[in-house]
Amino acid sequence: MREFEPIRSLVGRSCLALDDGDFNGYLDLCAPEFAYRIVVWSPELGKDMVWLDHDRDGLAGLFETLPDHLQRSGRFSRHASVYTVEEYSDAGPYSVVSSVVVHHTDLGGRTQTLAVGRYLDTVVCIDGAYRLSAREVALETRDLGIGLHVPL
Amino acid sequence: MSSRDKKSWDASPDMPAGHFVSGDVYTDPDIYKDESEKVFAKAWRFACHDSELPEAFDYRVFEQDGQSLFAIRGEDGVIRSFLNVCSHRGAKLLDQPAGNAKLITCFYHRWTYDAHGHCAGIPRVSGYSGDVVSKETMGLREVRTETLHGLVFVTLDDAAPDLTSFVGKALDRFSEMLTGQPLEVFHYNRAVLDCNWKAWHETNMDLYHEFMHVVLRKTQVNAMPMKDRKLIVFKNGHGGSGGDMKAAYDGYKGFAGRGNDIPPLSGMAPTDFRFINLFPSTAIISRGTVVRIDTATPMGPDKTLLEMRGLGVMGEPEEHRRVRQRHHNQYWGPFGRNVPEDTIAAEACADSFRGHAGRYQIISRDEGLTGQDDAVLRAFYKEWALKTGRDPGQPVSS
Repeated sequence: MREFEPIRSLVGRSCLALDDGDFNGYLDLCAPEFAYRIVVWSPELGKDMVWLDHDRDGLAGLFETLPDHLQRSGRFSRHASVYTVEEYSDAGPYSVVSSVVVHHTDLGGRTQTLAVGRYLDTVVCIDGAYRLSAREVALETRDLGIGLHVPL
Repeated sequence: MSSRDKKSWDASPDMPAGHFVSGDVYTDPDIYKDESEKVFAKAWRFACHDSELPEAFDYRVFEQDGQSLFAIRGEDGVIRSFLNVCSHRGAKLLDQPAGNAKLITCFYHRWTYDAHGHCAGIPRVSGYSGDVVSKETMGLREVRTETLHGLVFVTLDDAAPDLTSFVGKALDRFSEMLTGQPLEVFHYNRAVLDCNWKAWHETNMDLYHEFMHVVLRKTQVNAMPMKDRKLIVFKNGHGGSGGDMKAAYDGYKGFAGRGNDIPPLSGMAPTDFRFINLFPSTAIISRGTVVRIDTATPMGPDKTLLEMRGLGVMGEPEEHRRVRQRHHNQYWGPFGRNVPEDTIAAEACADSFRGHAGRYQIISRDEGLTGQDDAVLRAFYKEWALKTGRDPGQPVSS
């Protein structure tokens, strides 16, 4: 059985980068063709909804504008557990499924669960370094309260 | 300029009635009860879009005045609504938010109902003596339902005037946009907010708060002269844009070219911004290529269920839909540039009024129904006062 520790580490570092607001660091983990989506199944409509959809440049633009926005105060903490890693071939890409839970801690120190879902990642190896080629956040949680500006 | 002492802070603003609102309207439990009985139990309220019930026997569950209801399309194509309650022992009938059911069967004792609300079956009905319990007498409680421009409205008041007289001319400028092409809902999300329902709905009526949103500061505030931005108020407390406002999307990073990439909705230019607020708590907002409908439903003096829908063109090519979704999500939805900031504002005001630190909201901007006039807010509270019998500036006897 092959070890996929570098891929697990990639998923973990992507969480840490977003938690810390290190958006350049997050983008450094992404391949040039990176595609990011948040997808939610709607039992009300009987179909999938797309709540966020950006390529790498679009995400970079979103990050650039964040400081100008009125944002929910406090911190987000993403907890991802890599469940499966499947390689399409020896050289990748890899299909990685992680369970993710996002908590929010307000300025008073009160922590609440904000969202649960899965990261459905495609990971590629570029010059020996693993990078996210695509991330689809498949959310179970549909009530996100006041909402948020940052990706999950 | 000076800071204010308690007497000054607590005193009613020295301005005409109707130009300010007491914080009590957001917190007082007796006012909330009045609103439930005199506003929400009487008004026509948006329930869903008719595209959510495309086939016979499709149903959609929703809430109204603390009660669960459902709308269902009959085999005759007519949409009817009922309390989501079994006539027998009061069990909630439909658990799923949407679905299809030719017969609705109560899980508890297997009583069944059809899409007309008729009771279709009572197991072992012979066990009841007399005529009181029979299929003829045990139908569902029907709720008046009417559809206008594809929007399904209900009222709990059997004696309410019809929908068209309630809406008046408020939707006239939306009719082509809503009916010029078949529309469908592609986005739906709900969120429970820690605020009174009016605190949310005010964000839809208050143009002055454009300054809060960087995206509006950069795309909207300077897109046209303020004096050319027209507002309009209608009878029954409705109000919105009186002429099309414009947006200059190139002003915000990532929005350049918005509207030139897919056809706009019928009767809209890509950069048009048009909105209407229907009393008490529904807003319809269009940005050229996409429509948002949101409804605030009270869950208590300090809790509000916010439901938001995004609509696009039914049957459009997949690549158009993807762009339209992006246009929607740029402003709206839980990750939009706009809506999460509105919810922060609504909850921030609620925080202040909850502890009575905040005393009044000032809604006295008068720009002659142009620019960022507060006229739509005043029209809302004028109707609110009429319905509740309370002065929004002093709603509780001192």
